[in-house]
Amino acid sequence: MPIKLIGYAQSLPTRRVILTLNELGLSYELEAVTEIHTIKTDDFLANKHAFGKIPVLCDGDFTINESRAICRYLVSKYQKDAKIVLIPDDINKVSLIEQYISYELSYFDPPLTKILLQEVFNKRRGEPIDEAIVKQAREEIEKVLDVYEKILVGKDYLNGEYSLADLFHFPCAHYICTDTQQGDIFDTRPNVKRWLDNLRNRDAYKKTYAE
Amino acid sequence: MTIRLIGYSASYPTLRVIICLKELGLPYELEPPASYQSLKDEDFIANKHPFGKMPVLFDGDFRITESRAICRYLASKYQGKHNDIILIPKDVHKAGLVDQFISYELSYYDPPLSKLVYQEKFAKKFFNKDPDPEIIKQAHEELAKVLDVYEKLLEGKEYLNGEYSLADLVLCPGTNYVYGAGHSDLWDNRPNVKNWWSRLCNRDANKKSFEEIKSFWENN
Repeated sequence: MPIKLIGYAQSLPTRRVILTLNELGLSYELEAVTEIHTIKTDDFLANKHAFGKIPVLCDGDFTINESRAICRYLVSKYQKDAKIVLIPDDINKVSLIEQYISYELSYFDPPLTKILLQEVFNKRRGEPIDEAIVKQAREEIEKVLDVYEKILVGKDYLNGEYSLADLFHFPCAHYICTDTQQGDIFDTRPNVKRWLDNLRNRDAYKKTYAE
Repeated sequence: MTIRLIGYSASYPTLRVIICLKELGLPYELEPPASYQSLKDEDFIANKHPFGKMPVLFDGDFRITESRAICRYLASKYQGKHNDIILIPKDVHKAGLVDQFISYELSYYDPPLSKLVYQEKFAKKFFNKDPDPEIIKQAHEELAKVLDVYEKLLEGKEYLNGEYSLADLVLCPGTNYVYGAGHSDLWDNRPNVKNWWSRLCNRDANKKSFEEIKSFWENN
């Protein structure tokens, strides 16, 4: 039975899972969600996601949601058959990867999400962009990226070798570059730029974003 | 060499790690920072936490930050060694669901909860700001909707994933604060949630940790 992914290909959390599936060389079926009411039905809430969100992954009888949990599950189960290491065996290395995943959640994503809400989602809904919010969020992410610039000194990836932590950062960063006016925040920092370019050039990423 | 934990026990991410250390039966030394301002010193940023936050844990030479990552590290390395408490199951499917519930805590439970912790416990005492009743009302309503979902999730279960796990632990410190700050109805009005919280409060690690905090608030 193939893996079934319920989601929306352009949604950042769904992209996170698709990147992981592609890195692990796993085939899957995407069940595209196009209307929001379909994920708020009693059945969906009871059997797919208690908070009515996507993505949701069904692997045989097993259902799991929340993109980062889904990705960790896929790695735990299928990495040994893949040609890639997204989460290494060594406890210390794994834990530092979890630390970087927490940095993504705590410091990297929030200001970028504020920018996306204004410049992509408000724009799409024909609502005005609040420039003050964009300005404040930009100042916030600039400080965060100054820290990432130091973390990435002498390293191509956050924990030295490529890992799930780098993958998790990519969807949001890439969306800022392709769909907003703020992409220069990455380009003006050589280590950060090199990091994102390395990710962009990976086969799984090219494949994910070509689809 | 003893584990060193840098943080204030009153800060609930630090308390999260303290509960984890106690659950796993691990000795540790707590090193409170000199002040909140000292977290932004060059030395702290270079050698402890690049974003100037706590907690930070040193296990010998190994340094790790971010409370949930620290808990995962401690569980991976030490669970089952000093007692039989398992915070992250070995089975890949059970572990996956524990992860999913930890993500629920991050995504849905903690945002309104942390607003209430700040408003009710920290705003006046540490930052000399009056609590904002609008924010409190809105956060209370948001958390109520989240707990309606948890009420269903806990149907027929003692803990979120059946057996006690890291998924339950991560929300204990913040919940303790908000429960005791005039919002106990959020948990008490929902039978499954009420029983679950009562069960969690009866765990030794939580009892000891919550006692330590009580004396901090009484003395400061």
